[in-house]
Order: sequence, then C-alpha cells, then structure tokens
Amino acid sequence: MKYKSLWLGCLALMVLLSCRQNAELPYLGQTTLQDGKTVHHKVGTFACYSQDSQLVDNAVLSQHIYVADFFFTSCPSICPRVIKEMMKINDRFKDEPMVKLVSFTIDPKRDDVARLKLYADNLGIDQSKWYFLTGDKDAVLDLANTFFVPAFEDKDAPGGFDHSGKIILVDKEGHVRSFSEGTDPETTPKLLDDIQTLVDTYKKATK
Amino acid sequence: MFMCFVVLLASCNESPYMQGKRLYAANCANCHMDDGSGLASLIPPLKSSKLIGDVSMACVIAYGIRDTIFRDSVFLPREMPSFTRLSETEVTNIINYVNHTWHNDFKETTILDVEAALKKCPK
Repeated sequence: MKYKSLWLGCLALMVLLSCRQNAELPYLGQTTLQDGKTVHHKVGTFACYSQDSQLVDNAVLSQHIYVADFFFTSCPSICPRVIKEMMKINDRFKDEPMVKLVSFTIDPKRDDVARLKLYADNLGIDQSKWYFLTGDKDAVLDLANTFFVPAFEDKDAPGGFDHSGKIILVDKEGHVRSFSEGTDPETTPKLLDDIQTLVDTYKKATK
Repeated sequence: MFMCFVVLLASCNESPYMQGKRLYAANCANCHMDDGSGLASLIPPLKSSKLIGDVSMACVIAYGIRDTIFRDSVFLPREMPSFTRLSETEVTNIINYVNHTWHNDFKETTILDVEAALKKCPK
C-alpha cells in the first residue's frame, strides 16, 4: 500500500513535468481557416526608421522574437512606467540575441530619428537590442491595432494621444504570443517567463 | 497583550503618511515609480534629488518643472506637469510621504510651511 502511493506520486509528477516541457504559448487573436489550414493572427506590416536611421521592418525582425510597446517621448502619463517595465525585460534578456525590443512612437511628427536617439541615449540602454521606431503617423496608429493596442489622437488626453500601455510579445513569424500590462509591474514576471518559453521553443526546434 | 501585538503589527506595516502614499501612487508613481527610482537620466531618482527635504518641493508639485534636454539642434522635453488641483493639505501629505520614505534626515513638514513656500514660488 505504501509503495502503491509512492508509485502513484511519481506517476503524477512525471505527468506534470511532461506537461510543463510541452507547454507552448497560445496564439492570440483571431484564427481563421484558409484552404483547410489554420492561419493565426499576425501583426501588420511596417517599415520604420530607428534611432540610428536604420530601416526596420517585419523582415528585419523575422530572425528575432520581440516585445513591442507604443509610446511617445513627451508622454506625461503612462509611458515612463511602461518603458521602465521594458527596461526590466531588456536587463533580463541582455545576453540573449534572439530577443529584441521595439518601441513605436505614436507621435512621429515630434519624435523624429534625432529625438528618439536623444531619448535612447538618456535611457542608457543597449541600442543594438532596442529599436525606437518612427514612421508615418496614421500607419503607426493602424499598426497598433494589429498589436491589440488601442492608440489614437485625442486633444483632451495628456500629451494629445490616448493609448494603452500593453507590452506585446511577437514571435519570429509575426504572431502575438503573450502580453503584459506595462502599467502594472505585477504582470511583468509572467511575460518574462513567456519570453523564456518562446526562446526555449525555438532553440529546441533547431536542435 | 493582544492589543499590543495588533498595534505593533499595524505600526510595522503602514507608513505614517498613508494619505500621502495614496496620493503619491495616484499622481506621482507613473513617472517617479513606486520605489522612487524614476527612469534613468530622464527622470532622476527622488532619493538623490536636491528637493528632498526642501519645502520648495511644494512649488514643484503645484506648478511643475519646465526642463528640456538639448543636444545640438535636437531637444527633448523633460517636464513635470503641474498639480494645481491638489490642495495644500494634499501637497503636504505627499511631501511628508516622500521625505519620510527617501530622505535620511526626515523632518515633518506642516501645512503652514507649505502655505508659506507656495507664496514664494517663482512664477
């Protein structure tokens, strides 16, 4: 009887461990069927300039998984807190070249390449890992929707823009796989775990 | 004995400036962060601020700061918004919470101190 309980315990542990190893992140957003194949939601296409005047588009990021947020440098409300959470992600994965960070400005009229460079310099971060991107305003506001981040101009909002502070995890194929609320630091540890899970999934697939 | 324990437990867990703490969370923490660490050199940490322990912090809370980072012809606003909607009592509570939490040589600021400081703010 004693041994039976022990064996049952071991079996339960093995099942739990095997579930954990196979844990994959879900695909977020609408899934459709095309020609009998399951097609997951993808973020929109973009071509923006970074703080180093480098053209960054979907193809450049297709070798990486990345976390993205939407902000603007003169934002007086939620942006500093969201950028602070992005810095935590940056610190945790600073030695993992697969992971990049992307911050799209929703105020490209004021946030040109030079201002984004000044902003990034003042953050003191590794700028080969973290892109601050500027492009066409309407295109960026539309793009935000495909990341499930509502962003729009609102003259009554602080700084002239209303937007959510979500931080979105995107895989190499452009699918949204996880997110955190950038305004709530308590949601960051789960996102950090999810990024690690996605990194591990890709590494396991290439072995 | 039980009451002593309850009082002791309460005094361990709570800042003596709870309204200041709540006001800080609602008005200040998005930029200065819950731990006062700020955001790199864009928002310097409160602990090393020249305004810590200085009653002129009342002017900064009430009227904000207009600051700009320049490099060549590029500029980046580094402004703190004004909080004129806060009452003198609320400003006092925030100052006491901030000083009590991050100033090594804490002395309580009174509403009278704040009223006097606000009259002398540079316009």
